Amino acid sequence: MISAYILITMQPGKTDRAIKEMRSIPNIVKISIIAGEYDIVIRAQVRNLEELLEVTDKLQVVEGISKTTTQIIEKEISVQ
Amino acid sequence: MNIPKKHLFYVLAISSSFIAAAVTGLDSFVGGQSAFKTDPWAFAFSIFFVGALVTLLISLFFSIRVKGKAVGAKVLDPSFQGIRLIQKSEVRNHLAAGLMNAINTIGYCAIVSTVQDPSVILSFSQVVILYLLLMESITEKDVPTLVEVQSSVIVTFGAILASLSLNGEINPLSMAIVFLVINPTWAIFSIYQRRLKLMRIRNKPNDAINIRFWNVVFSLLFTGAILLGFDLATNGSHLMSGLQAAFSPYLFLLLAATMGTTFFAYVLYIRSLGMGKASINNAIRASTIIFAIPFSLLLLKLGIISQFSTDPVMLIIKVIGITLIIFGIVSFAFTVVKAYIFITIKPGKKHKEVMDKLWDIKGITHVTVTAGKYDIMVKVSTRTLLKGYERIIKKIEEIPEIQKYRWASVLRDWENI
Repeated sequence: MISAYILITMQPGKTDRAIKEMRSIPNIVKISIIAGEYDIVIRAQVRNLEELLEVTDKLQVVEGISKTTTQIIEKEISVQ
Repeated sequence: MNIPKKHLFYVLAISSSFIAAAVTGLDSFVGGQSAFKTDPWAFAFSIFFVGALVTLLISLFFSIRVKGKAVGAKVLDPSFQGIRLIQKSEVRNHLAAGLMNAINTIGYCAIVSTVQDPSVILSFSQVVILYLLLMESITEKDVPTLVEVQSSVIVTFGAILASLSLNGEINPLSMAIVFLVINPTWAIFSIYQRRLKLMRIRNKPNDAINIRFWNVVFSLLFTGAILLGFDLATNGSHLMSGLQAAFSPYLFLLLAATMGTTFFAYVLYIRSLGMGKASINNAIRASTIIFAIPFSLLLLKLGIISQFSTDPVMLIIKVIGITLIIFGIVSFAFTVVKAYIFITIKPGKKHKEVMDKLWDIKGITHVTVTAGKYDIMVKVSTRTLLKGYERIIKKIEEIPEIQKYRWASVLRDWENI
């Protein structure tokens, strides 16, 4: 399994509709609206890089997204 | 079942309370057996004696590997890899937790033996939430926020009202045992269990199943030692009575049932201790009182217990208490500030070292090394932004390998979509 964070910059006023569309994209396990340099952080969980490409491809056509930055997770520690 | 991580802490703590409520009913039945009614000290020993055996058997069952993964990891705690020997680094914490659990159980038995209906006295054991708030502000240097104090006080008073009974009597000795023995020992026990859960064993998070098993073993040893000393001093035979009771087939089965069920309540409790402060865990655990009501009604219907007050005044008091508990817990759940921190590390510095330093900061729930614009992404969960600055940002700024960081507060999130 490969996990990645996708950091998204939105055009103003289009967040709600874009989130609705994003929630229908497979392999996205978490969506957070954030305040700061980016507007949205997505966590995707895929079997291979090809599937990750599919996720980012689908995100690119969501109306209102102006830029995406993908961070692939190499190592993780979390509360269990 | 896939539980969203943001709800997992509450699901674990409330599930633990639900099972604990069932255990309370079972306990009252087992404790009511003639062998234990006359000698509650023997009850304390035999419960740990049979408990150690039952916990070992359950832990061995959960150690069976299916498709390369222990059954326990699939159903109870993902960190569990199989039952194992205790590690040197854990001994101190296990000694403290075991001793506290033993004294707590003996204190409980002392009350049962001196007071005919202990429910009115034991309801004051809910004040432990406030003990924990105080202890955490000293030991973990974690001063509680106003919301934590408010919610804890609401839950504590709610719990006292909801579990209060007018049938019992209040005598100063029993009250002293609750406030000086039962509450402090449970608070220290919870703090050490949490410390154990937060430890990393062989570079992996410690698991709740091994923690529970070893706690029962240490509690048995300490209870045995305390009873032996007591028997020698008073020329009594509580230890022998406890052993005899444990070997009686009928009592053994009853004790095995209560300790087998307790195992699950504790494993879930220990897991939730790894995710949140002991005081908040205990506040959520106060919901045991709510779950205990249907179990009490069931026991009443089965004829196992003979008393359940239906006096309208008592019912109103109980409803007020339950409402307070629910509001307290809900206010805990909805006052969490979450954030991401995007971190860039200075060139040539090792990610692993920074990762470990970040993981040691309380309030950080995820540390991920990533390939991309940022080197590390951290997820944070804290009560207030002020605490986020005081306890997290200040610590991050002390890590010399970090070149820059950016804080991004989460405004809303969706999980498992």
